[in-house]
Amino acid sequence: MSLLEQIDSVKQAAVAELQAAGDLPALERAKGAFLGASGRFTALMKELGSLTKEERPAAGKAINAAKGEIEAILVGRREELELKAALPSEPADFTLPGRRRRVGRLHPLTQVTDDIVRAFRKLGFAVADGPEIEDEYHCFDALNTPADHPARDAQDTFFVQGAGRPLLRTHTSSVQIRVMEKMPPPIRIIVPGRVYRRDNADATHNPTFHQIEGLYVDRNVTVGDLKGTVEAVFQELLGSDVKLRFRPHYFSYTEPSLEIDFTNSLVKKLGKDWLEIAGCGMVHPKVFETVGYDPEVWSGWAFGFGIERIAMLRYGITDIRLFYENDTRFLKQF
Amino acid sequence: MKVTLNWLKQYVDFDWSPEELTERLTLLGLEVEGVTHLKGDFEGVVVAQVITRDKHPNADKLSVCRVADGKGERQIVCGAQNFQAGDKVPLILPGASLPPKPGDKEPFTIKVGKIRGVESHGMMCSPTELGLPDVVDGLLILPADAKVGQPLAEHLGRSGSDVVYDLEITPNRPDLNSLIGIAREIAALTGNPLRIPGNTLEFPSSGTAPVAVRVEAADLCPRYTAQVLRGVKVGPSPDWLRSALEKVGLRSINNVVDVSNYVMLETGQPLHTFDLHLIAKSAADAGVPTLVIRRAIEGEAFTTLDGKTHQLKSDTLLIADTEKGIALAGVMGGQNTEIRDTTTDVLIESAYFTPTHVRRTSKSLGLRTDASYRYERGADPEASAAAGRRCAELILATAGGRVDGPLVDVRPAALEVKTVTLRHDRSSALLGIEIPVADQTGMLVRLGLSVDAEGSNETSTRFRIPSWRVDLKREADLVEEVARLYGVDRIPSTTPRRASGSHPFDAMYDQLAEIRRVVAALGLNEAQGQTLISDESARWITPEPVLLANPLSSDMNALRPSLLPGLIDSLSNNLTRRNGDVQLFEVGRVFTKSGDTVREGWRLAFAMTGARNPQFWSGADRDATCDLSDLKGVVEEVIEFLGLRGVVVTRRTEVTPLWVESATLSLGGKLPLGQMGQMQPVLAKKRELRDTVLLAELDLDVLLARRNSAKSFKPLPQFPSVRRDVAMIVPESVTHDAVLGVVRQLKPANLESIEPFDLFRGRHVPAGQKSLAYALTYRAADRTLREEDVSPVHSKLVAGFQQTLAAVMRE
Repeated sequence: MSLLEQIDSVKQAAVAELQAAGDLPALERAKGAFLGASGRFTALMKELGSLTKEERPAAGKAINAAKGEIEAILVGRREELELKAALPSEPADFTLPGRRRRVGRLHPLTQVTDDIVRAFRKLGFAVADGPEIEDEYHCFDALNTPADHPARDAQDTFFVQGAGRPLLRTHTSSVQIRVMEKMPPPIRIIVPGRVYRRDNADATHNPTFHQIEGLYVDRNVTVGDLKGTVEAVFQELLGSDVKLRFRPHYFSYTEPSLEIDFTNSLVKKLGKDWLEIAGCGMVHPKVFETVGYDPEVWSGWAFGFGIERIAMLRYGITDIRLFYENDTRFLKQF
Repeated sequence: MKVTLNWLKQYVDFDWSPEELTERLTLLGLEVEGVTHLKGDFEGVVVAQVITRDKHPNADKLSVCRVADGKGERQIVCGAQNFQAGDKVPLILPGASLPPKPGDKEPFTIKVGKIRGVESHGMMCSPTELGLPDVVDGLLILPADAKVGQPLAEHLGRSGSDVVYDLEITPNRPDLNSLIGIAREIAALTGNPLRIPGNTLEFPSSGTAPVAVRVEAADLCPRYTAQVLRGVKVGPSPDWLRSALEKVGLRSINNVVDVSNYVMLETGQPLHTFDLHLIAKSAADAGVPTLVIRRAIEGEAFTTLDGKTHQLKSDTLLIADTEKGIALAGVMGGQNTEIRDTTTDVLIESAYFTPTHVRRTSKSLGLRTDASYRYERGADPEASAAAGRRCAELILATAGGRVDGPLVDVRPAALEVKTVTLRHDRSSALLGIEIPVADQTGMLVRLGLSVDAEGSNETSTRFRIPSWRVDLKREADLVEEVARLYGVDRIPSTTPRRASGSHPFDAMYDQLAEIRRVVAALGLNEAQGQTLISDESARWITPEPVLLANPLSSDMNALRPSLLPGLIDSLSNNLTRRNGDVQLFEVGRVFTKSGDTVREGWRLAFAMTGARNPQFWSGADRDATCDLSDLKGVVEEVIEFLGLRGVVVTRRTEVTPLWVESATLSLGGKLPLGQMGQMQPVLAKKRELRDTVLLAELDLDVLLARRNSAKSFKPLPQFPSVRRDVAMIVPESVTHDAVLGVVRQLKPANLESIEPFDLFRGRHVPAGQKSLAYALTYRAADRTLREEDVSPVHSKLVAGFQQTLAAVMRE
């Protein structure tokens, strides 16, 4: 057998053995048997010396070509076997639940408050704040609510022990006075916060609840401005299909006073034509006089509503106590 | 306040449907809280007049008639014989039903149909068909003066169909607690005249008064009128009166009492009737019955109409005779002088009592009546006499009798008529729409205001305010009336004006929102707790909580001094419902005493119990429950987020009612920042909390004030680091901070960080000792560190541990 024939036969054997290797160690063994230091190709190389000067280049070329071929097959085969080795022994069950991390949620009242505040801030309102323990002056007198007014019924107000009959504010409107006492007009504020009424807790009452108050004081402010702003905010909050209705009402610190009803597909679904949502009005001139604003120069409007009510409407919650029980199965829904 | 459609129509004309009336009243500010439709007798039956009567072309016994029904003419085929053209008869219209005939179950519904080829649009009725007792062969022929088109029920004085409206009257409008008041609003809106029932009787204006009235407390009773009627026959009320009261929810008692209630509803003026003979006569007053309006004697007993006996206080206004109290002024009459079946002579009281007084009495005695409701909101002092006369007149009409003597009217002085000036451009400016001067004036005049020409010019009008409008005090009030009658729905909305407000709290609001988002991202759910908690739980936090003066219950009698009691309540709420793994936080306000004043401050608090991780189906730590390190990790994240450095955690050596193991946090050991720890397991167990409960609270006011939000970039390391580990056994008393203390003291060169990676007690570690392992990272900013750079420094540090901490190195 000529050397060339031998080269070919060794190559055939190498290819067969590489192909037959069932795993990576077998492949490496086969590689050693042919390409290693004492491998069969090394042996063939040694035989080159016995050839004539003329025969040698052709045979050398043939050996190198065969080695190249085998190495290519080796690389390919190695990838195949590596892939095979990497295959998981069992199939993954992608339908099993994943390993979850804890992600907390913001309280629904926080989310609704944030949405309301965002809507007002777009219109240039700044968030303001005031004390929750108030005095009768800021909660009632300065808001033009006389001492014998039913709204001041001690039955409905929590008083705090201490000198000067401190009380828990019954509405965020007291902040109107606090702000106007300190800041000159124009004013553009919104006040979210806790308020207190002396009601026993039931599905629609909690002694603590949240209100949000808006106050705008400037020159030439009109009822039209009030309507326009309220509409803009509620469309942002409740969707653009919301319709509002303003009807005359009575609050001691606004004149005229209006109540706001709204309707949209949700209200219709509840089988109602309108749902009451907020109270508002033009700031009473007496309130301006009390804080030292000239009602001939300044006019303004205020409005307020309950945050729980909006949240209950938005999410279809029927019991206000859920907000304060903090059952995580409730909190995680929002 | 309940009113009915038909009753309102007695005072003003309007042709709105019941639904339209709801809408109109609502937009006037009279919120309609309920609408009830009452079905009447003879529904769909009207008084009709026969115009022509002709023979039916195809039937001998039938006739074809043209009939007027008040709205037009109809063709009716009729089989009766007892009538002729011109007669007035009951006509039932198509769609309406006749009561079922004896033996039938279903009512008989009238349809348009052909009778022997001729169309008939309704049916003329016999008394039998209508279920009336009269026996007539043929149609019921009505009197010639019957009004064509009138519902038959109305003609017969039976109750027709009606609609009852339940209205919410705002407290500023006492005048609307009356039919006339509401009708006046409708009149002002429609422009139709208001019909106030006038007095047709002649009342003597002079003569001997049959009673004497002595007002001894004029401050509480600015006006008192009394009218005497004699020869009255007490009995059941006529149908119209009984039905009017029952529709609006009042019980009929007898004709005299019912009239007084009816007139109260009509005019808004409460009235009371006494049996005159039960009022003591007084020799001092010419021997006539005498009324004394006085304050009660402290402890004076008085039995009201409802049979309850009250011990009065000395500030209660009493209507009395010379011997005894006979009525609680403005609230309720007395049993001793009430109208009975035998009453023949009646005294009608129509008075004005001051609102605050009536409210106080009604409240202190727990007695709320229709009268007290109206008085406490403010009656019309000018209405007393007229309402008294109206009452007298209706009693005479329903119970007979005669007027005796003039109306006794005791009042110190007539009220001064108030005036308010309206600058018409002011209302336009405030409403944002031009309303012509004449229109504005017209609206106000229709509401009963009158123009005072003397104080008026082209641009402003001075109005005299009618006595019943106690709410109209200044210009803004008149602007509101213009807005109401013009219609707020007609005022166009204007685009919100762009301008910026400002307030110091604005930035704080954002910071609070930021904190909430960070903590939620750390896996805790946000809670909102009650502000009001029990003083018992408040005392876990402070010996001196802020207490309510008038709490509703002992569960809610203190203002929270901390968010922790509320969070513990929330944990319990979850656990009692078997919702076991709870991690909550709250951002909220707390109330603490500092001297005599109460401070309101913002806090951030955390509470965790139960499983550390959400449930999973494999893994070594899947059953791990939260421990102190979980809590501390959250606290550290928040502190790092706020950029605070130098926060010191100091373990409390004592056990407190709330804590079994706890520490305070402070800035540099001085400024308190908050506290954290593990809740007393005994206390926790009482609240169904069986796993370890971890709590922490931080003072947000301090934290935010010290917040360091400045951030600057540090270049990423250019050269590799060298890590050396140290494992050592130290006494239990050696804290992590003590280890760091050695590092701080020796300041090893190029030490980048030192992090604990193992804490171990037990096997191979002697009791009272623990094994600590730290990874130390050395790195230079300008070169790669070599072995000989690190080794001497590291050895020195290890020697420091050995000397200072009595540490034994492990290999």
